[in-house]
Amino acid sequence: MGRYVIRRLLQFIPTVLGTMFLLHYMTSLAVQFSGNPVRALFGDRTPDPALLAAITERLGYADPCLDKRGDPCLWREAESGSGWLGTGYEPGLFFDRLGNIFFHFDFGINLRQREVTDLVADAIPFTLKLLVIAIVFEAVVGIAAGVLAGLRGGSFTDYAVKISTVFVISVPIFVLGVVVREFVGVKFGNVLRDQDWIPDVISVGVFTPGFKPDYPLASLVIPGMVLGALSLATTARLTRTSIMENIRADYVRTAKAKGLTNKRVIGVHTLRNSLIPVITFLGVDIGAAMAGAVVTETIFNVPGIGRLVTMAARSGESSVVVGVVTMLVLVVLVANLLVDLLYAVLDPRIRYE
Amino acid sequence: MRGKFLKVAVAATATAMLATACSGGGDDNNEPAGESGGTLRVYNAEPAFLTPSGGDDEPSLYVIRQLYRGLVKYNAETSAVEMDLAESVDSTDQKLWTIKLKSGYTFDNGEPVNADAFLRSWNYAAYGPNAQNNGYFMKRIAGKADVAPADPDGEGPKEAPKPTAETMSGLKKVDDLTFTVELDAPFSGFPTTIGYPGFFPMAQACVDDIAACNEKPIGNGPYKIDGSWQHNVAINLVRSDSWKGEPGKPDRIEYRIFADIDAGYAAFQAGELDVLYTLPPARYKEAQAQYGDRMYEQPGDSFTYVGMPLYQDTFKDKRIRQALSLSIDRQSIIDAVFDGRFTPASGYVAPTFEGAREGVCKYCTKDVEKAKQLLAEAGGWPAGEKLILWANAGAGHDLWLQAVGDQIKEALGIDYELKVNLQFAEYLETADQKKFTGGFRLGWGPDYPFMETFLYPLYGTGAGSNNSGYSNEAFDNLMKQGDSAESIQAAIPSYQQAEDILGEDLPVIPMWWNKVGAVYSENVDQFVWNAVSDADYGAISLKQN
Repeated sequence: MGRYVIRRLLQFIPTVLGTMFLLHYMTSLAVQFSGNPVRALFGDRTPDPALLAAITERLGYADPCLDKRGDPCLWREAESGSGWLGTGYEPGLFFDRLGNIFFHFDFGINLRQREVTDLVADAIPFTLKLLVIAIVFEAVVGIAAGVLAGLRGGSFTDYAVKISTVFVISVPIFVLGVVVREFVGVKFGNVLRDQDWIPDVISVGVFTPGFKPDYPLASLVIPGMVLGALSLATTARLTRTSIMENIRADYVRTAKAKGLTNKRVIGVHTLRNSLIPVITFLGVDIGAAMAGAVVTETIFNVPGIGRLVTMAARSGESSVVVGVVTMLVLVVLVANLLVDLLYAVLDPRIRYE
Repeated sequence: MRGKFLKVAVAATATAMLATACSGGGDDNNEPAGESGGTLRVYNAEPAFLTPSGGDDEPSLYVIRQLYRGLVKYNAETSAVEMDLAESVDSTDQKLWTIKLKSGYTFDNGEPVNADAFLRSWNYAAYGPNAQNNGYFMKRIAGKADVAPADPDGEGPKEAPKPTAETMSGLKKVDDLTFTVELDAPFSGFPTTIGYPGFFPMAQACVDDIAACNEKPIGNGPYKIDGSWQHNVAINLVRSDSWKGEPGKPDRIEYRIFADIDAGYAAFQAGELDVLYTLPPARYKEAQAQYGDRMYEQPGDSFTYVGMPLYQDTFKDKRIRQALSLSIDRQSIIDAVFDGRFTPASGYVAPTFEGAREGVCKYCTKDVEKAKQLLAEAGGWPAGEKLILWANAGAGHDLWLQAVGDQIKEALGIDYELKVNLQFAEYLETADQKKFTGGFRLGWGPDYPFMETFLYPLYGTGAGSNNSGYSNEAFDNLMKQGDSAESIQAAIPSYQQAEDILGEDLPVIPMWWNKVGAVYSENVDQFVWNAVSDADYGAISLKQN
């Protein structure tokens, strides 16, 4: 087990470096091809060159390789001496970034001169809350619906679950988000707000078109449910199929034949084995939910990581995109590792060497 | 092990939700008598900076204007300059200005608002290495070049020379409440410029630790920050006890920060905001129908034009430019593409400005016959050449530009091609380098309420934003004449003559002016829109009940 974990952790290194290079290259290309984002800050007012140069320098867009289209910014000509190992070149922007991030924990600053680490620290609590709500919602409701449908295949419940999940899967999250915001948050919420007997936490807090600082948790419930909705459908269907398969398995028949109670047969023998694929899915889904959060948070105005990425991408803030996405990659990697380790707990047949 | 985690998580969520249920519900207004009082909740995007020297974008200015106050303010309706912290702003030659301050004003931390507070702020903004966005606005003050010298090769490898001075030589303190400002050249409109937040004062403590001052501003205005800037979430202001001037109406102003205007509009519909100072373009008509009397509409001062690259041979003859302008029916494009959210432009100065006139451009209404005739006189359009129309990508400009192209094609038979693939940054760089090959979309908003802001920066020989490369001696002379006129009013006739020259020469084809569209909630008693500084939150009163 220990060796397995170490091997997996070592595999993180090339994955992270690879993603970082891709991100670095893509954001550099964006600057090389679409111009210095600092110039766009001034809009129609042409800034005087001294000011433009000063701000460009401070924000880290002054590297000359950002003017050469297609240059991956890996090496630059040495300013003095013979450069690295006498090649006449020295490590370029990419290595500067790596060095800053891993040795100084410096992720750079955004166009407004705020530290990326501060931005992330501000945003992470919101995203975590949102993710917890989403995952709890999809796990609890999804598994419950899946079990109900799976135990009674062909029944009304089964069809209801099947049809509603197809419906949810076929609606993209940005459509679902906007529709929920307009109809549940605004229209239905306004009806609730007119009723005096409904407590404020429900009418103003929960049924809101977006995040509200006055109700930091209640106002995240609906965005979290939207974020979890898509995976909820998949979870329900996975559970359903898995239950249907296991309920006919030999060991379940044996358990029934032994005279165990129905509760124990379903709860322990069937469900435990049926949940293996579901857990895999939920683990992988944390990564997908992070991606979904980019859309959901923007629609519901949640000041989390996802909205941060959206805004940074819109204004072309390379340092923010590189920094935040690198952190997201780490989150996904760790989540996947944990899922793999959970297998061993759920299924005694799996052993890691 | 199994199941435990879920139970714990569910329990934790439930407890947390109960906790918010208890602490929530403080949303109602408290109810003092009279007109002032209450909490005004307004839409805002995330500001860039909350310091006078740094914030130059709309969301920043909206907050800074309530936290800080400057030498002068603008009349809400006429946009005339009124003294605020200044006792007087005088000059005999329009070049050396003497500014006297009223006494008794302080910053929130107790520092006095004296001559030093202004000089400190202006010098801080102008000093190159500080990289402050509003350094741009100090360009007229003598000695600006010494504190921010130009880089000899732009973005190239050579480093910009070190500044030779830390303060601008044009700024001199006379006594605690008096200072003089020497400009590079006479400028009669100087008093109109200093109401811009870039010219507001800063405390010594603020300049000493600018990062802290950005998070928790030390202002001198009617409001001060409650807590600190909650990035991307909210900025809350409360009344400042140190403010000696006319107090603001609401007790508290809460800026809710939104990532996009659609989310802001949804929040307004749900009754969470009292003022939404702009509207999502797609919802404009809907808002008009739904909020009718609670919607504020007025012609704005944001100018859209199609620039003419006078550095290209094809566009050198003014008759060609006149013919192109004459083939465009502006109103029909506004109705078809923008739901009527703009006003057709027939001049170069915003209709809300003092000295603006209708019909300065005689070639700005559709007249196909005249267009054909002018084009023929000019020798026709070069055979086989396409008219290229430029706009930046991703901002929806291609729609209306295509309509412009279609109208020109229909009227004059000139085939056109859209070039709308450049991102904004690269597009602006193309403009700076004068590399456009055809008509190009750009816009302009005023920096201060004075006709000059619409004229010299865009059409003066070698001026910063003169993207057409227009140069006309008569125009430049009239501008100089206006700049050295003895008062703001006396300058207007010269500027009007200069504008007439543009109306004939058409260095750019005027398209339209924006319309301001804001909505406010039923809680608002009196809505105040300042012609220069837009929604004036401090002056908006709430219904007290």
